[in-house]
Amino acid sequence: MALLADFIQNTLDGLTAGASYALLALGFTLIFGVLRRANLSYGPAILFGAYCATWISASFQVGLLVLFVITVGGTVLAGAYVERLCFAPHRRGSAIAAMVASFALWMQFEELATLALPRHLYGFPALYEGGPLIFGPFFLRVESVVMLLTGIAICAALWAILYRSRFGTAVRAVIDDPAAAELSGINVPRVFIQVFALASAIGGLTGFLIVSSQEQVTPMLGMWSTLKGMLAMMLGGLGSLPGAVAGGLALGLLEAHSQWYLGPQVRDLLAYLLLFVLLALRAPWMSTRSAY
Amino acid sequence: MLRVQDLVTAYGKIEALKGVSLEVAQGSITCLLGPNGAGKTTLMMTVAGLLKPRSGSIRFLDRDIASLPPHAIVSRGIALVPENRLVFPGMNVLENLRAGAYQRSDAFDEDIDRVFTRFPRLKERSAQLAGTLSGGEQQMLAVARALMSRPKLLLMDEPSLGLAPLVVEEIFRIIAELHREGSTIFLVEQNAHMALRVAQHFFLIEQGRVTFSGDPGSLAEDEVIRRAYLGSAR
Amino acid sequence: MDEHAIGVLTNIALFSFVALSAYLLLLAGELSFGQQAFFGVGAYAAGIATAMLGLPLPLAVLIAMVCGAAAAVLVGLPTLRLRGLYFAMATLAAAEMLRILFELFRWQVEIDGEAVGPDGTQGFRGIRWIFERGVEPLHFLVIAWLLLGVVVVMLMLVERSKLGAAIRAIGEDPPLAGAVGVDVGRLKLGVAAAAGALAALGGALFAHHNTYIEPRNFDIMLGVHSLAYALIGGLGTALGPLLGVALDIGLLESTRIFEGYRMIVFGGLVAVLLVWRPRGLLDERVVHWLRTRFS
Repeated sequence: MALLADFIQNTLDGLTAGASYALLALGFTLIFGVLRRANLSYGPAILFGAYCATWISASFQVGLLVLFVITVGGTVLAGAYVERLCFAPHRRGSAIAAMVASFALWMQFEELATLALPRHLYGFPALYEGGPLIFGPFFLRVESVVMLLTGIAICAALWAILYRSRFGTAVRAVIDDPAAAELSGINVPRVFIQVFALASAIGGLTGFLIVSSQEQVTPMLGMWSTLKGMLAMMLGGLGSLPGAVAGGLALGLLEAHSQWYLGPQVRDLLAYLLLFVLLALRAPWMSTRSAY
Repeated sequence: MLRVQDLVTAYGKIEALKGVSLEVAQGSITCLLGPNGAGKTTLMMTVAGLLKPRSGSIRFLDRDIASLPPHAIVSRGIALVPENRLVFPGMNVLENLRAGAYQRSDAFDEDIDRVFTRFPRLKERSAQLAGTLSGGEQQMLAVARALMSRPKLLLMDEPSLGLAPLVVEEIFRIIAELHREGSTIFLVEQNAHMALRVAQHFFLIEQGRVTFSGDPGSLAEDEVIRRAYLGSAR
Repeated sequence: MDEHAIGVLTNIALFSFVALSAYLLLLAGELSFGQQAFFGVGAYAAGIATAMLGLPLPLAVLIAMVCGAAAAVLVGLPTLRLRGLYFAMATLAAAEMLRILFELFRWQVEIDGEAVGPDGTQGFRGIRWIFERGVEPLHFLVIAWLLLGVVVVMLMLVERSKLGAAIRAIGEDPPLAGAVGVDVGRLKLGVAAAAGALAALGGALFAHHNTYIEPRNFDIMLGVHSLAYALIGGLGTALGPLLGVALDIGLLESTRIFEGYRMIVFGGLVAVLLVWRPRGLLDERVVHWLRTRFS
């Protein structure tokens, strides 16, 4: 019976982590689907936003809402910088150059963060001060509920944007065939900028939820977000938004259960092994999009 | 309506257009014929804004459009049906048409009805994914999509390419119909025979330069066809 | 020559190996986020060979290269038909798996009353072969650069040959390459093996130069840096990656001009340079121009 209780608790924890991975993967996938390139500075842009908020919160007494706005704003700003420098110049050019440029900027963000706030760990105001919700033998942190609900809300919002707005039609057109979109009168470069901003905003939101739930920020947030986002995106099928959500949730569940029974290192090992095997077998749902 | 003067477009060091000059009169069907590699598609793409010319001018309704991006050219009233029929493969026919009307801020249901009347086969398949349509149906969809933006000038790059003769006849019938209704069409074709039957004026382009300009009677048809496929004797 | 300069020049040589490793795969048209794993395999293999099995360094380096090539084939075979980001992510997954395995790997033997060997996350200390034999830093520098020189010359010869043309053909247009008779699969695997061996060579030397290695040395940052060095230096010649390494380690780090801001400067430099030159400073056009000028 204890076994079942553990399983359920781990599943709950896994879904929460999975929701954050799903959100990260959504942002990644939006950029990948539209620009057909992977943005390796996605996580680092979130780091930038989170650090801006941390810096402000260390120097001034401000409310959570202000910190939220700063985090999202900082991420969107960083994202715009990345888009202008790494992706706009190579729009019709080399995908490899764009991606290598994006991790050059990753290096910049990491160093900037450690220069501004040199310690390995910083406190961050808590999202919620109270204790977790308890149902019998299970507990669910309120922060986790917020993360899950946010995940659902963002998915719904994205669906509405993509299928019920003019902007969404343009985005879907560019994802489907950028050349045809240009000829239909869609301003493709502007769509890139707008999608980048949207993806960055989602990233900033996710980053804020993560750091305020854990009540801490570390410089590892950048690389961590990128890795989890890309891993989840690939598990669910490159370029597919529903796949990003599925991949994120699957990753969260896999991690929660394997960590419980096998420890943190094996947890990461299994996630990478799963991805490698799926790629090697060329699992059919994964090749939704070509190459870069 | 459209006036191109001394247009030079290059890919790196290679000049595909070496100084092209031509005119498309309003309300006409004007045709550009020439062998493969002569520069026909390059010219179309340059006018549509997909390629930037190195020098020369493109004037549409007396305004310079050579430096505009593709979406601005669509908003000026030019629509291109490209050589490879570009449709949105993952969207169905209706969504393709809606995408074509992207710049229209007014209601375009009327245009959709009109397009469906003109292309009944598209109406039948309105919920079908464009990627699964046949070649001829995709060509019709590409034309229909271009029409959704209510263009003043319709550019068509090799509409008959890869299509069965019956389908080609239907496409040209539609071209003639559009012309009768007042559209201006600038057409690039390898199928000189069909093109000359509908055009009021044609140009021959060879190796990046316009070598002949006239109406369909002015050169013997077999001479035209020879030069369209093979180029003039060197 | 002062010690600092020797240290910098040695590091340039060592990291050039892993940059060349990334470069080879870029030539074949593939982005690899995983070459750092083979650097690590080489480091551990050579360390075990000299510090635990008492083998001489030259033999250890050879063993390391074989291990690197073998590991690369192990990763390359299942991923042979993957392209683009799929391939890149597969290499990333493989590299991270290897790194985690290094974290879990514990094997120690007793030598002169001391426990020597890989100790998981604690790393592997005591790789002291060159110090025990009194090899001076300057000698080691010369050895490293000699080896690098041999590798670069070999690569430049290959590039002028049909093999080199075939590799670049795969990089530009794989179906076309296949259509003219290039066995794309086998060639890609061969390139991967060579790249693995090269990275392992660098790792073997690195382990002995540092005397201490840990799994953290072989993380994604190293892989990402190698790719950046290769691309910014230029894909036109094997000297390109060396230029990239020299720019970062030689110019920026050693001169300490931008103390503390080095990554900000280097990162910005890479991004800006790539806008202007997407295939690096010594790209194919520049190399072609240089060749016609000087022949």
